[in-house]
Amino acid sequence: MRIRGAAVVILLAPAMAAMVVLYVIPLGVYFINSFHRFLDGRILPVWTLQTYVEYFTDSFTYKVMGTTLRLSLLVTVLSIVIGYPLAYALHTRVRSAAAKGLLALLLFSPLLVSVVVRTYGWLILLAGTGVVNTLLRGLGIIDQPLNLLFNMTGVVISLTHILLPFAIFPMYSVMSRLDLSLKEAAHDLGAGWWDTFTHVTLPLTMPGIVAGALICFTLALSAFVTPRLLGGGRVQVMPLMVYNNTVDINWPTGAVSGLVLLLMSIAAVWTLNSLLRRLPSV
Amino acid sequence: MSTLAAELRAEAQEGRGQAARDALLRTALGLGTGFILLPLVIVIVYSFSSVSYGVFPPPGLSARWYSHLFEQTTFRAAFGRSLTIGLAATGAALVLGLLGALALVRARFPGKELLRGFLLSPIVMPKIVLGVGWFIFFARLGMQGGVVPITLAHIIVVLPFIINILAANLVGLDPSLEEAAQDLGASTPTVLWRIVLPQIRSGLIVSGLLAFIVSFDQVESSIFLTRGENNTLPIEMFLYMEKWQDPTIAALSTLLIVFAAAIVAVAVLFSRGSDLRRMLLR
Repeated sequence: MRIRGAAVVILLAPAMAAMVVLYVIPLGVYFINSFHRFLDGRILPVWTLQTYVEYFTDSFTYKVMGTTLRLSLLVTVLSIVIGYPLAYALHTRVRSAAAKGLLALLLFSPLLVSVVVRTYGWLILLAGTGVVNTLLRGLGIIDQPLNLLFNMTGVVISLTHILLPFAIFPMYSVMSRLDLSLKEAAHDLGAGWWDTFTHVTLPLTMPGIVAGALICFTLALSAFVTPRLLGGGRVQVMPLMVYNNTVDINWPTGAVSGLVLLLMSIAAVWTLNSLLRRLPSV
Repeated sequence: MSTLAAELRAEAQEGRGQAARDALLRTALGLGTGFILLPLVIVIVYSFSSVSYGVFPPPGLSARWYSHLFEQTTFRAAFGRSLTIGLAATGAALVLGLLGALALVRARFPGKELLRGFLLSPIVMPKIVLGVGWFIFFARLGMQGGVVPITLAHIIVVLPFIINILAANLVGLDPSLEEAAQDLGASTPTVLWRIVLPQIRSGLIVSGLLAFIVSFDQVESSIFLTRGENNTLPIEMFLYMEKWQDPTIAALSTLLIVFAAAIVAVAVLFSRGSDLRRMLLR
């Protein structure tokens, strides 16, 4: 059934109305604040670029940006490096469809539970007398408990865990569409498993890697709960800055940093998407 | 003869290499699944701990954290609020999303791809940016936060997920069924209600469940809309964890894990595998 004319407008009107009133206007109202100024605990309704100037001349800005990018990059690389063998093993080494489905569900299951719950789990695991330190000491690997909490280490571990399913599923999805006869052909032509992997499997699964990296990186950029609860104030990332600025009623600075965070997300999506388009599609 | 022996030897070596790679990949899959489930398992274990501090292994077992949890009326009220918001936002977004997806799939008009991108764009928007935007927007309207503003906000958060899944479902339908119904005299609403909806039942269930889960997990998009007194469950937990870290949260988390498992059971029972996969792939 093809939909034409007035029907198209009627069908789209509710969603569009909601998007304009509850999405475009709030974001507009928010970002307009970036052209105002925060002085002596209140917002001056003047039109100025002063907040931008102050934001970009403050060295703290670049420190926070650096931390945010470093965290996001680290977590993305870890998620891909850990997730790739998992996706590959799930695709090639699990025969029965039922076992495959069950494992996929298990790998996906943490996403059904609040990120607060998962972060709490890592709080228990990484504590000084927690599971990880107790096990490492029991095995004689360390003498003193490692400081895994309230610093970058804890945030990286926990955030990698949270984003891992987002890395696994795009890669798995590309692998499952992969033509296995190509691997056999490479093998028949005398290529060893390593050559087959680097010359056939890896390039063909690259779209999955890039898609996984895209999701992980954008989600890591805007991660809030984990850096807040596990960073102990030492992992100052941009979403936390936006939060703090808002709590301090400094909406102008909050709006500038929010806008910068948004532009970083868009830049990441755009870069990885154009990379994705240049890759051969499977 | 010697070449044959060499070939056989090489093949045996390759077999051994293959077996080693199999074992390695299976181990990786086991370890990876363990890593992903570990925080959830540990939360369940700690919810039965007899002490308030995180020490491994817990010195004894008790159910005191569950009784402590049930004494806390704030969590019960917050759960009720999250449930209400999740159901209302999902219901509204299903209606808006279904109509929008129909137009996106079945109509042809200029700028359709741009419109689709716009409707899906809240996915990449950092949640904290949306959160501050709604805070300022609703404050300007004189609304002090609460269940209604949060529900309105969550409609925007979950709408892209619903449109994405329903559009994919609609693309897969055979248009000849609808044409046949129309030829037999059915009006457009009748065709939608009697022919189209039953065919995308599974997509409606899966996208609805996903939307509910996403709404149920919102922290930073809603934290400025609660004003401390009408917190949703994840925000109540988040704020509790900023102050205390006793296993009351573990007991609550365990109940939420059971709740999530029940949702998965519903999804598996009432939907098609392809829609579940789409949910996994987001």
